[in-house]
Amino acid sequence: MSRDIDVLIIGAGPAGVAAGIGARREGAERVVVLERDWDLGGILQQCIHPGFGLRTFKEELTGPEYMHRFIQQAHDEGVEFRTNTMVFQIDKGTNTVWTMNKERGIEHMTPGAIVLTMGCRERPLGAIRIPGTRPAGIYTAGTAQRFVNMEGHMPGKRAVILGSGDIGLIMARRMIWEGAEIEGVYEVMSWPGGLRRNIAQCLDDYGIPFHLKTTVTKIHGRDRLEGVTVAQVDDHMTPIKGTERFVECDTLLLAIGLIPENELSRMAGVEIHPVTGGPVVNDLLQTSDPKIFAAGNVVIVYDLVDNVSDEGLIAGANAAKYAAGKIPADIRRIPVKGGENVRLFSPQYVTGQADTTIYMRVTHPVEQACRVFAEPDLYSQRLRYARPGEMNEVRIKAGQITPDIKEITIDIQPV
Amino acid sequence: MNYDVVIIGAGIIGSGIARELSRYKIKIAVIDKASELPSGASRANSSMIHGGFDDKPGSVKARFCVPGNKLWHKLKDELDVHMNECGSYVCAFSDEEVKHLETLLEQGKANGCPGVEIISGGRLREKEPNASGEIIAALWSPEAGIINNFEAVHAFIESAQINGAELFLETLVTGLLFDDKGGIRGVTTNKGEFIAPVVINAGGVHSAEISSWAGDNSFRIIPTKGEYFLLDRTTQGFIHSFMFSCPSKAGKGITVAQTAEGNLLAGPTATEQEDPEDHATTPEGLAEVLKGARRLVPAFPVNLNITTFAGVRANIDTGDFTINALAKPRGFVNVAGIKSPGFTSAPAIAEYVADMVRHELGDRVKFAPNEKFIPERRNIPRFLYMDMVKRRELAQKNPAYAQIVCRCETVTEGQVIEAVRRGARTVSAVKMMTRAGTGRCQGGFCCPRVAEILSRELGIPLDEVTRHGGGSRLLAGRTKEFLLKKKREEAAK
Repeated sequence: MSRDIDVLIIGAGPAGVAAGIGARREGAERVVVLERDWDLGGILQQCIHPGFGLRTFKEELTGPEYMHRFIQQAHDEGVEFRTNTMVFQIDKGTNTVWTMNKERGIEHMTPGAIVLTMGCRERPLGAIRIPGTRPAGIYTAGTAQRFVNMEGHMPGKRAVILGSGDIGLIMARRMIWEGAEIEGVYEVMSWPGGLRRNIAQCLDDYGIPFHLKTTVTKIHGRDRLEGVTVAQVDDHMTPIKGTERFVECDTLLLAIGLIPENELSRMAGVEIHPVTGGPVVNDLLQTSDPKIFAAGNVVIVYDLVDNVSDEGLIAGANAAKYAAGKIPADIRRIPVKGGENVRLFSPQYVTGQADTTIYMRVTHPVEQACRVFAEPDLYSQRLRYARPGEMNEVRIKAGQITPDIKEITIDIQPV
Repeated sequence: MNYDVVIIGAGIIGSGIARELSRYKIKIAVIDKASELPSGASRANSSMIHGGFDDKPGSVKARFCVPGNKLWHKLKDELDVHMNECGSYVCAFSDEEVKHLETLLEQGKANGCPGVEIISGGRLREKEPNASGEIIAALWSPEAGIINNFEAVHAFIESAQINGAELFLETLVTGLLFDDKGGIRGVTTNKGEFIAPVVINAGGVHSAEISSWAGDNSFRIIPTKGEYFLLDRTTQGFIHSFMFSCPSKAGKGITVAQTAEGNLLAGPTATEQEDPEDHATTPEGLAEVLKGARRLVPAFPVNLNITTFAGVRANIDTGDFTINALAKPRGFVNVAGIKSPGFTSAPAIAEYVADMVRHELGDRVKFAPNEKFIPERRNIPRFLYMDMVKRRELAQKNPAYAQIVCRCETVTEGQVIEAVRRGARTVSAVKMMTRAGTGRCQGGFCCPRVAEILSRELGIPLDEVTRHGGGSRLLAGRTKEFLLKKKREEAAK
């Protein structure tokens, strides 16, 4: 290596590419993004449906189109990319990053700052412990999406979808377009996991039955999946006797949640939040290790890629500042607390160094007029409703963070 | 096809015997109906290497358990198999159970099981802080451990193959052949006849049926399901050893252990069933495992569960291992009812059976020593466990070792290719040989990649790649072809 790396970014999905742009714009000399896949874009490569970028570009793009615009910008800004390069270890303390690549073999580097942008992964079947057999034909929705959109293969002919996360909803429609049948979508909660717009556009428009408070209770079939038993559940999510029904299908797609992917963060010794599953960050998106920043779904799972890109830009810019010695060690750390109906939020600390957006999700839906707010008297916004499947935002200006503020509480309550 | 010995079943018993017999210059065929190894009880069990205090002195089990344990401590290096030499605790919750520990201690001493002692609950919790506060005493057995059962079976069968034995998968034995003197002449299978003067029945849950073909109905196999939870490797160190409840009439009860790979394992239940091939987990079984696990370690982190599974063990109605060469038909050997401590006993059983066959059936097969016998076998290199120097060396020599396929278990493409070279034909086979897909995402990431490598290396279309053989195809056809076919079908109607 001829020159030291100022900002090293791990993962070239929407967060990582934006972080590269942010770092270069902030003046970092050498910015490198590592990507384990052969191409840039992360999961958006396989998201060939439209609906991306409404906020950022004010138009509806497909995943690859959305990424293309950012990748173009990154190239223009002089961001370096290394594909087919996997980070398999980050040493605690020294922050040495170890990579492997077929041509270059195993290498290590110690950059001025690191941005973690590894995204998230899907919850597997084992996480929900459904009894029965273990035949072929059970896939997470994202794996099925890869098979269909990237490899051109169908995972099956007649599918049941468990969980109503967005990828599951998108895949319901995608499978129908390819001539498969979708018997139904089953969601154990009494509200959908994904966005309402996806329920309308992917299920309702195609007459796909959507069953709330219903789950899969048994898997049948030795070699290939032959069917599943579904049953309604009570308020404690226990299956109700007598409601069981056998559904014939050769495919079960799982859309039961996403988990931030933090193996490397853990190796690096970064503090992980027990509820978000991502690194604890301040509003500069700096983790518990001041040299390490994090952005996007690796921190908290977002609904919209626009938010992921926004956060990527912030993390990249602040990593560049850190590498240049422009972020003091003694910045303020004002803790953010979630109120009664807040399940999770990020960032967990506010510094007062810049304007901040706190992203949050409610625990229970509020199906009436309500108010999202931050106290002491920092933000208040009326909402028509608040739902777990749709994130809410709290915006605070740097100037509002006066020296007397010791703690910020965010919440959503009916008005 | 003509052989000297045919072994039915390539589980830990059949493959172990094959390896021992490959010390002689004889032709060995090992046949198994599965598409991948291990299948059956060797695939889904606790993988416990027992200390040897559990078995009644004088029983066949007692005869093989302690020697088997000793052999594993040696074989793990010779055959390159991961083993967690962690010791085990039997935990007592009452004075009555403490009395039982004393009985086990005496049995252990009688069986020659080294180092067993009873310790206080307090001392247990110094070693295992997550053990229940209600445990008042425990029997410590330092020689006990837990092995990677997938690796163990592959190690045996590969070692046998290195030394000349032949393995036939997807080969189902359908009957026995007899010579005109009433001796064994071989077996019939779905793939034709295998002619051999010696047939060894290591057919696991099917061994009683196979034995009945030889006219020996002296035992019955009761397929007994055991269900398990397997937790993420981030639970490593939650406990360090193998923890048992006090055994009762129902069996050894639910255990909690840290596996050879650092996962947390809890199970098994013991549910008798008719169907020897029913591997489905049940709500009742899983609830029982969870209850039992929480009794031993109340904070059992079930939220980190990555998979549940069930194995079916070959429980025998006589209660003890059945190992004998039949007087009639000569040449037929039963090695049946090998349930717990079967995995532990396997290498000792293998040595014994090889000796027995040589002595009792020497008139049927000539047993000349195989001077070229190679005892060592190396595992597929495990990138996860290598130091950086080794990793760099390997990646430089073969770039496929610089490409990660399974991110949870850090498995490289080189390892997957090597598994295919060693006989893997299915996604599950690759999983058992390399651990790709055994991690927290359970193949979500690596399954398409492994399928692609299988397709490429085997020269078969992606659509023909199976999960575990038979009809377990992963995919249902090309996207647009699929749609067009459906449209055509609709038009035809």
